[in-house]
Amino acid sequence: MPYNKPIPEPGDPLTRPFWDAAKEDKLVLPRCTSCNRVHWYPRWICPFCHATEIEWIEGSGIGYIHTFAVQHRAFGGWADETPFVTAYIDLAEGDRMFTVLRGVDPTRPETIKIGAKVKVEFEAASADVHIPFWRVV
Amino acid sequence: MIGYPEQPKTALQLHISAIKNVSKQTGIPISAIDGIFSAGFSSAIAEHLGLHPAYIDTTSVGGCSFEMHVHHALAAIHAGIINVALVTHGENGWSSRATRGAGTGRARGMDPWDPGSQFSNPYGVSGAPSNYSHAMTRHNHRYGTTPEDFGHIAVVTRQWATLNPRAVMFSKETNPAGGPITIDDVNNARLVSWPLTLLHCCLVTDHGGAVLVVSPEIARSVKTKPVWIAGAGESMSHSNMLEMGDFTATSAAASSAAAYKMAGMGPEDMEMAMLYDSFTVTAGITAEMLGLAPRGEGFRLWKDGHAAPGGKFPMNTNGGGLSFNHSGMYGMQLLVEAYRQLSGTAEDGGFSGLPGKQTKARSCIVNGTGGSLRPRARGDGAR
Repeated sequence: MPYNKPIPEPGDPLTRPFWDAAKEDKLVLPRCTSCNRVHWYPRWICPFCHATEIEWIEGSGIGYIHTFAVQHRAFGGWADETPFVTAYIDLAEGDRMFTVLRGVDPTRPETIKIGAKVKVEFEAASADVHIPFWRVV
Repeated sequence: MIGYPEQPKTALQLHISAIKNVSKQTGIPISAIDGIFSAGFSSAIAEHLGLHPAYIDTTSVGGCSFEMHVHHALAAIHAGIINVALVTHGENGWSSRATRGAGTGRARGMDPWDPGSQFSNPYGVSGAPSNYSHAMTRHNHRYGTTPEDFGHIAVVTRQWATLNPRAVMFSKETNPAGGPITIDDVNNARLVSWPLTLLHCCLVTDHGGAVLVVSPEIARSVKTKPVWIAGAGESMSHSNMLEMGDFTATSAAASSAAAYKMAGMGPEDMEMAMLYDSFTVTAGITAEMLGLAPRGEGFRLWKDGHAAPGGKFPMNTNGGGLSFNHSGMYGMQLLVEAYRQLSGTAEDGGFSGLPGKQTKARSCIVNGTGGSLRPRARGDGAR
């Protein structure tokens, strides 16, 4: 079945490197060459030190659950998948990403632990766009 | 203010109705307005009224926009630029469903290159409830609170609504789901975004409202008793929830610090509060940020009955966004109700069918929240 949920449109030159790498199932992250801090989401300017020289580094693909929720109401393609778990992920490299969490039971939220280790994986939403998701390991 | 009109209303209709009301109530003619503040519509409203204002502000950053407008109006009046600032709101959160259809799952007007479009929307979040739930989970984790603790905020706020005939949830007659609710009702309501059940979430209605912020000379001359703004402040922490460093804290700490400083007052001087309750968790965390309760314990103000009718610290006395009215951007109703309780207007039997004065409060802190638990603005009025 074709992917029926919202697919990002990766035309923005700012985020193009991210989606190019995602297509190879690689997670890359923007890092400031001046203060060496990783930030998420991508910026033209470092939100920590305001330098504008940003490089892309390959991330470890490891993170930890910061907080989560179980979505019982959703729209479009996601409506068919309720309940599902969404989560904010603290990246091993710093800063935070949002995701739909995999490898968890949405009907038993008490079994999902804040701080649990997660690993990134990619789903091919289209020929051009692979979307990162995180899975509890 | 209206909840679920039978005939769809437009936002402009709601604006104009509110502006007529505030002009009639205060005796200040619409023609005297020289500054217009609204969440995005100021030029259209000025033109519709046939006014040529000297000051225009269209700050639109979610439900707290109107608290910010008051802050901005205060500055513009103090700078001597204008004398009569109209802060106005009209929004047909309910009626617009009939014309555009609800829940496309895609934020309206969002640029496909917006960080939210690329890095949040692909993950099935659909509007505020699906985001705010993450804050509740984190608060529960950090402070050992439970969804039920926050559920008491819904129960107490409903008690206030049952005293307000204009509240959507006033009674079974005004809405089949109206009338008093118990904590079991909150716990057992259907899940929207765990841990939030439906009764942890605000309404989606139509409403409008307007307030005038005027120079002291004009304030002394109006028909109604003015409420004086003792202090105001605003702060913005983030736009996208990805940037919310601490999910159990908001920038209301900074905005209230600024307002308390300007007022030369502190939380201990406040006698009531109007806090944005888009969700129970919003109000609970906000109480903590304003210094009304220790961190992790905001919910106790409701659970222990202090915020309830007859309690020592009334909060959200109109029935709140949870049970009175919530068009999408609710902050205007916080201002209207704070004015109503402090001005004595309500002592005359109310206006437009609102109930009489229900508190003895002489000071009130008002705090708005917008977007994803984001910018906060706050002012307090003291007679």
